[in-house]
Amino acid sequence: MSAQIELSNIEKHYGAFHALKNVSLTIEKGSFVALVGPSGCGKSTLLRSIAGLETISGGTLKIAGAVMTGVPPRKRDVAMVFQSYALYPHMTVEENLTYSLRLHGVGKAEAKAKAAEVAATTGLSALLKRYPRELSGGQRQRVAMGRAIIRNPKAFLFDEPLSNLDAALRVHMRKEIRALHDRLGATSVYVTHDQIEAMTMADHVVVMRDGVIEQQGSPLELYDTPVSKFVAGFIGSPAMNFVPGTIAADGQSVRLELEGNPVLPLGRTMEVGRQVMVGLRPEHLVIAEGGDVALQLPVAVVESTGSMTYVATNTTPELTVVETRRTHLQAGNTIGITIDPGHIHMFDPTTGLAI
Amino acid sequence: MTRPYVPWLLLGLALALAAVYLFPLYWMYVTSLKTGSEIFANPPTFWPMAPDPSIYPAVWTRRTMGTFMWNSVLIASGVTAITVVLGTGCAYVLARYRSAWIDFGLFLILMLQVLPASVMITPLFVGFNQIGLLNYPRTAVVLAAAAKAMPFFVVLVRATFMSVPRELEEAALVDGNSRVGAFFSIVLPLARNGILVCAILTFMSAFGEYIYSKSIIQDTSLQPASVGLSGFLGPNSTDWNSIMAYSAIYVTPILAVFVLLQRRIVSGLTSGALK
Repeated sequence: MSAQIELSNIEKHYGAFHALKNVSLTIEKGSFVALVGPSGCGKSTLLRSIAGLETISGGTLKIAGAVMTGVPPRKRDVAMVFQSYALYPHMTVEENLTYSLRLHGVGKAEAKAKAAEVAATTGLSALLKRYPRELSGGQRQRVAMGRAIIRNPKAFLFDEPLSNLDAALRVHMRKEIRALHDRLGATSVYVTHDQIEAMTMADHVVVMRDGVIEQQGSPLELYDTPVSKFVAGFIGSPAMNFVPGTIAADGQSVRLELEGNPVLPLGRTMEVGRQVMVGLRPEHLVIAEGGDVALQLPVAVVESTGSMTYVATNTTPELTVVETRRTHLQAGNTIGITIDPGHIHMFDPTTGLAI
Repeated sequence: MTRPYVPWLLLGLALALAAVYLFPLYWMYVTSLKTGSEIFANPPTFWPMAPDPSIYPAVWTRRTMGTFMWNSVLIASGVTAITVVLGTGCAYVLARYRSAWIDFGLFLILMLQVLPASVMITPLFVGFNQIGLLNYPRTAVVLAAAAKAMPFFVVLVRATFMSVPRELEEAALVDGNSRVGAFFSIVLPLARNGILVCAILTFMSAFGEYIYSKSIIQDTSLQPASVGLSGFLGPNSTDWNSIMAYSAIYVTPILAVFVLLQRRIVSGLTSGALK
């Protein structure tokens, strides 16, 4: 019973501010789509436009094939989970859950039965008579989810629903929301500024920046082949290292603007002398014990998390290296690094686009 | 001065100021129960030697206080009804929309508050006279006093509405309600305390309204208790215990309401927390 959302050439202006610029996006039936980007990129505006809480200035928005221009939120049959949960403070959990049903004329007994059913699946059964102020953050979050589920809507819209939870609960709820999505098979649109949430939960990730869609694709597509320096730096944790460089005389390697001007083989041919921005993911910089290494880097700081060690180098710009093996590195040591040429990303320094 | 004494000093100051304000009230009740000669006794007595409560029913009937009080209630109710119905809508709009016009509207409303009743009464009187409203003097007073009470109400209730998160309304819209429905089922219940408190304050101030009533209502049978009280005061008035008894009958209901609801009033005025 889930539907497809179709956005074509959506425009949104707030006075002089151009919040959404020609955004086109197709959200497949039953898919889990994450809208991700830094604050102010337009992701929340886009979500609110789908919900009907914002009127779009141009373009067409279709839900289940029907054009939504001028259709108020109540007639769009979408459910939304807000960042602040937006639970009605003067209603009990049960009343919060059944509010939409009561508005749609569902009988009292039926609404109660449905609330009990939803409460059972979200673990709220014991809390039905409580008020939102008497609940913990995680419980409130569940009520907000339950309020969306109970309606069986055409699409779920999530507006950063996990950002008010602590780290452990966030990881747990991440899995729960995804499991819920799989069970209900509904279309979900999930807004977040946290790329890890987007990567772990979504089938399809849409990276936005300054009101335009920078890139969209599966999480691994974005990770492996970012179209721009912005996407490359945004997706992946810790963030990708960027070093300016110049293509060397043989056209097959790049000379990095690092101490000692090291040269990296590229495995492909490029225009000699071209200025580039080289992107190296921390996890692709492999610490090698002696032998034939591509880079020799002095160590500035070593941070060990147990499972992984983050090594920051004493270079300009600073590079981050992730090592999964146990190391005995200390500040002041020098490490040798090897890089698979297939893992070297190249960007145009002026346009930021991938080369 | 060491820190631990500061709260006690402030408390002492607060009590002293409260005593200054509350002493006349105490003096009103005590004087109403004194005999004529005791009132002028020197040194004054702080508790009547022979309290005589029979003055209350006597003043009530002699001054036809029933009529006066009824007029006061009628005028105060009318002012409150108009203010709450119109002011609530106005405050909601001012709380929810942001634009230069809204700011301008808010400025105009605050300007209304600046103009004192004594300045407004002459033009109002002339205007009401032109449209024949002076034939319905109590209605005229209700309209004038409601206009006077409106800014205070709108500004306070606007703050209450602003403390209701917008997201709650949006959640109601997405859940299937209309804008009007969301206002009545979500926003209004949450702002109810604030509105109630402001309504009570409006009622109490309208209950004591004097300037408009004195100027507009000539017919004694239509005058409120505030104007009736001034009828007592002639150049040679000595009937102080009757005046005080009248005043006591007049203010005691307001005081009672205030004492009963003071918890609510204080919390309604200060709390914006809706968690």
